[in-house]
Amino acid sequence: MSGRDSLLLLRRSGLPGRRQGPSMNEKSDLLTLRSVSKSYGAVPVLHDVNLAIRDGEFLTVLGPSGSGKTTVLRLIGGLEPMTSGEIRLDGQDISRMPINRRPFNTVFQDYALFPHLTVAGNVGYGLSVRHVPRKEIARRVAEALELVQLGSFAKRYPTQLSGGQRQRVALARALICRPRLILLDEPLAALDLELRRQMQEFLKSIQREIKTTFLFVTHDQEEAIGMSDRICVMQAGRIRQLGTPHELYYKPNCEFVARFFGENNLVPGTLGQVQGELRSIDTALGRLICSVAGQPHLKNAPEGACAFAMFRPEALHVSEVHDGKNHFSGKIVDVAFAGSSTVAIIAVGEDRSAPRLRMRLPSRFSGSALSASETVALSFAPREAHLVLS
Amino acid sequence: MTGTGSARAPTRWPRRLVTLLAFAMPVIFILVPLAIFLGYSFFSVDHGEIDYTLTVANYVRFLSDPIFLPVFWNTCVLCLSVAIICVLLAYPAAYFLTTLKGRWRYMLLMLLMVPLLMSYVIKIYAIRSILGLNGFLNKALVSLGILQEPSSLFVFNMNAILLTLTLLLIPFAILPIFLTLERIPPILRQASDDLGASAAQTFMRVTLPLSLPGVASAASFVFVLAIGDFLTPQMVGGVSGFTFGRVLYSQFGTAYNWPFGAALSVALAAVVVTAILLGERFGRNRGASV
Ligand SMILES: Nc1ncnc2c1ncn2[C@@H]1O[C@H](COP(=O)(O)OP(=O)(O)OP(=O)(O)O)[C@@H](O)[C@H]1O
Ligand SMILES: [Mg+2]
Repeated sequence: MSGRDSLLLLRRSGLPGRRQGPSMNEKSDLLTLRSVSKSYGAVPVLHDVNLAIRDGEFLTVLGPSGSGKTTVLRLIGGLEPMTSGEIRLDGQDISRMPINRRPFNTVFQDYALFPHLTVAGNVGYGLSVRHVPRKEIARRVAEALELVQLGSFAKRYPTQLSGGQRQRVALARALICRPRLILLDEPLAALDLELRRQMQEFLKSIQREIKTTFLFVTHDQEEAIGMSDRICVMQAGRIRQLGTPHELYYKPNCEFVARFFGENNLVPGTLGQVQGELRSIDTALGRLICSVAGQPHLKNAPEGACAFAMFRPEALHVSEVHDGKNHFSGKIVDVAFAGSSTVAIIAVGEDRSAPRLRMRLPSRFSGSALSASETVALSFAPREAHLVLS
Repeated sequence: MTGTGSARAPTRWPRRLVTLLAFAMPVIFILVPLAIFLGYSFFSVDHGEIDYTLTVANYVRFLSDPIFLPVFWNTCVLCLSVAIICVLLAYPAAYFLTTLKGRWRYMLLMLLMVPLLMSYVIKIYAIRSILGLNGFLNKALVSLGILQEPSSLFVFNMNAILLTLTLLLIPFAILPIFLTLERIPPILRQASDDLGASAAQTFMRVTLPLSLPGVASAASFVFVLAIGDFLTPQMVGGVSGFTFGRVLYSQFGTAYNWPFGAALSVALAAVVVTAILLGERFGRNRGASV
């Protein structure tokens, strides 16, 4: 049987019991967390978490260590009881459903493969405990192994596999039961960079093929941006923002998210007037004009409120042309070559507390146009700058 | 890594000495005596004097005499039963221990191990008084109405040996089982639950198979200790509880036939070594960790 056929078989299209969404275009919610809280003893770990996971999406939970990502996954999987709140699947409360009845499967951080079972035994485990006939188990195990490209490894034991192969066995074991939701807790954390890249693409392609909802945990923002349909950023047991990678990258709703996602220039200031989709902010760089398109809370924030002007290093340009907006000059303190791009650190103003900005330019063979201690005129387009309330 | 080369030179001599000692100790204190025994088993005794001409007569006697082989066989069966009963009782106890949290777990484990610190003879006396005709066991069975009058079922016979050895050796079974159970990563059980297994399925398919090495070690421990024991059968076995250990003991003692005793020891040693090898073979974990 070819890999392609097995993909078709694993696809869960048109299974009975699937809820019909209100509209065929709009993706419906598969799972919702409603004001879920969790404490270990007296220590609160999650505070009032609300989250809706859409059917078929690749949703990533992203956050620094200790922010509660694993806890969210364990609550959904049923490995841990909630302190309060509820979890709904297709609108039905499953908060008290025992772990082995929940139609979710987990890919654990260190794989948790059964050492006494072969690869085939591991992958078929979920089916054999449900008393699926042997023949069907064998067939589906072969399909699943085909899917994760481990067809010839069925008889090996987990200790005889490499990290990446174990990872794929764990994935096959989770998806063979055709769960509604696959929970992945930092499944790539133990792999080296190259393998990690491959596995990222691999996971993503499998998710597209079998059309199953993935809830993926990571603390690597690059990984999150590259793989996710949506990202949920957590900090200290709270969800700070939920949105597409693009939204989070360009329109973070708080300083934490703005700083967490890649390099950023955040310049503190006070809000000025609104002009259509633009708003001014007074900063140490002078009066800057930023976009507030689609962000009513920023449009409606009172004048004089503290905020940050935010623009990405790649939005900053060297330009002598002066059109009166977002124009200032600075001194290059440092130039760092980073392969495809070159990053310049720029000090604006003389004193030590003056804001330092990062500018990222595509690298060129014939040397950078920039050199340290040069003074340059800089600008950025208002639509590439955003505001973040502080 | 350049420092180690020069640092190693001066420590080379003491280190070799330690290595030599480490190998010499077991050779001198274990292998040499065993070899001497093996040698003795090919001699014979004539009017209380040892005759140093080589012969296999002792082995022929052991295999052909109508007494020794059945006793040998019965003793093996008895000790196997002790091992099985010990494991069956120890497993739930060890499992229960692993369900306890932190401090309680080790407190209780220590309590279960306390009998190991007590004198062997005192323990046997204590158990003998429990098993006796007016002992606790009989009194309890009578007062519960299970027996009409005290029974001699557990007094000075094979049953008494079985019960006593079981009671004495159970801590040796609990420990290895507890250790393997404790070493099973909890995440594996969670993974099993997560994949849809019921609690019973998780136990049968994950916990039990992963703890079998401990079970094998426990069984081989208990068996080896039981089969080498002659004191317990001597004290609680009476006349009917005649075990191979007692036969052996009598050859070195009352019968004063060392060569024949040595031949019997060699037979016993063969069984012990087999038990240890089996325990080792199955006690090894296939994939130590994940
Ligand atoms: N069993 C537990 N008992 C007590 N506290 C716990 C327990 N498990 C987790 N915590 C605490 O809960 C908080 C969140 O833990 P969690 O494992 O969800 O973090 P995480 O976001 O997954 O972190 P990481 O990226 O390091 O895996 C941490 O402060 C942690 O110390
Ligand atoms: Mg975690």
